[in-house]
Amino acid sequence: MIASLSSEWLKLRTTRTIFWLLVALSAVITLFVVAGVVTSETQDVSSPRDQLDLLGIGMLALIIALIMGLIVSTGEFRHGTITSTLLATPSRASVAISKAIAGMLFAVALVGLAEGLVLLELAIVLPAKGVDFAIQGGPAAAFLGRIFLAAALWGAIGSGVGLSIRNQIGAVVGCFAWLFLAEGLINAILRSHAIDSHAGRFLPLQATGAVLNTGARNSADLLSHTAGMAVLCGWMALATVLALVLLRRRDVS
Amino acid sequence: MIAVEDLRKRYGKTLAVDGLSFTVEPGRVVGFLGPNGAGKTTTLRILLGLVRANSGRATILGKSYSQLERPFCQVGAVLEASGFHPGRKARNHLRVLARAGHASKTRVDEVLKIVGLEGAARKRVGGYSLGMRQRLALAAALLGDPGVLILDEPANGLDPEGIRWLRDLLRSLAAEGRAVLISSHVLAEIEQTADEVVIINKGKFVAHGSVESLTRSSEGRVRVRSPQAAKLEKQLTKAGLKVDVDGDALLVAGGSSSKVGEIAAKSQVVLHELTPIATQLEDVFFALTTEEKR
Repeated sequence: MIASLSSEWLKLRTTRTIFWLLVALSAVITLFVVAGVVTSETQDVSSPRDQLDLLGIGMLALIIALIMGLIVSTGEFRHGTITSTLLATPSRASVAISKAIAGMLFAVALVGLAEGLVLLELAIVLPAKGVDFAIQGGPAAAFLGRIFLAAALWGAIGSGVGLSIRNQIGAVVGCFAWLFLAEGLINAILRSHAIDSHAGRFLPLQATGAVLNTGARNSADLLSHTAGMAVLCGWMALATVLALVLLRRRDVS
Repeated sequence: MIAVEDLRKRYGKTLAVDGLSFTVEPGRVVGFLGPNGAGKTTTLRILLGLVRANSGRATILGKSYSQLERPFCQVGAVLEASGFHPGRKARNHLRVLARAGHASKTRVDEVLKIVGLEGAARKRVGGYSLGMRQRLALAAALLGDPGVLILDEPANGLDPEGIRWLRDLLRSLAAEGRAVLISSHVLAEIEQTADEVVIINKGKFVAHGSVESLTRSSEGRVRVRSPQAAKLEKQLTKAGLKVDVDGDALLVAGGSSSKVGEIAAKSQVVLHELTPIATQLEDVFFALTTEEKR
């Protein structure tokens, strides 16, 4: 398992995909931080709570972690490297679990970089706007802890979904469709028609929202931090188990 | 060393492998031959644990591939020259496999040297020619210094020099006591490389033996030219020999050159050429697989 995990980690580091995703992430984060501070009224970014919300810009890394997990897993089928992967590691369970763990580790590293960049840019942009940098250690650390955990789960979900779907374009398009369209629609339908109008809270994006909720927004429709984390763990387990079952059942021909 | 016993694999209504059995012993290069769709690749993938058989057994060193301890260091395989991430450098591709397969780090540079890719090791595989990819696939197969090699069409994309290099490499690996199972469409190449061949057709076993025994057991033909070809053809057919016309010559099967000469002399037919044609592996292959088709 360690050998397989080490190999998966090396795979992540040895293509240019990671470089371009990091460039894209840095550019988007910079844009969001600068735009978020510059276009806001001074009083809207002055309080520690407001500035903690700005740390949430690092959540973009979760999407990149998800996409990276998808690309790495589906890439095995797209490029035919799944054959050599399974020759080197015949245990398909080891391959699926190693990919999930590698996806988690990568996601944590990515969020670390993203939040580091957000903090650095806030430390420069806020004083330039005449606002003191007021993020406090305790709440920030708690938020960062939760975002690291959420990122790890998203990375593993990406790996699992990628191994299950196999088609790279289908997987990436499908995930974007889910994130930006399907989940919102389902949530809206559940709220308007379902017997349990709160069932939407258990959807992945809503559960992530619960984990990362800083309390600034109306959180009545969200689960608690702990419950959100438990639900997100459930989604991760579902994606990994599905990947494991399908990988074991399928012939590699 | 490699044992396939009564192996069966069905894809929907198609029986890809139908009760196939054969063995490969250490120190032998065994050619695995069959027409397209004969079930060669499926058999090799079953041996390597990539495809599940419906019944039968496919073992290497007495165990299924997944049951072997560190299988990557016991069995090397080339299954396709397309199994590379185009954006990854060749050396990194091998490093990834070495890590997962418990092969030594130092082996990466060794195998790159063996396959002649040390100069291109830091190039991305996307820029490789088909021949270079084939060499890289062979490097990956040799990474664990395995005692068994399973190669599916390893000569694809290699230039004549590369084919000769591959032949010498496989012979030297077999001389070290390794078992080599190699499927190929290049029958002339297999004839020069393999000690034995296993021939299959439509998933079924057709023949297994040394190249020499198979070509010897198959009747050769005699090429004969005569200004009285029509008369000679009649006499040869009358004697029970099979005669085909090949331009201005006759190709005679079912009798030796002496017999053809004697018939010609007895019939007072002048001969301009009387040449025995040695049976090639290709003749045996087509004879056996065509018989199967009938």
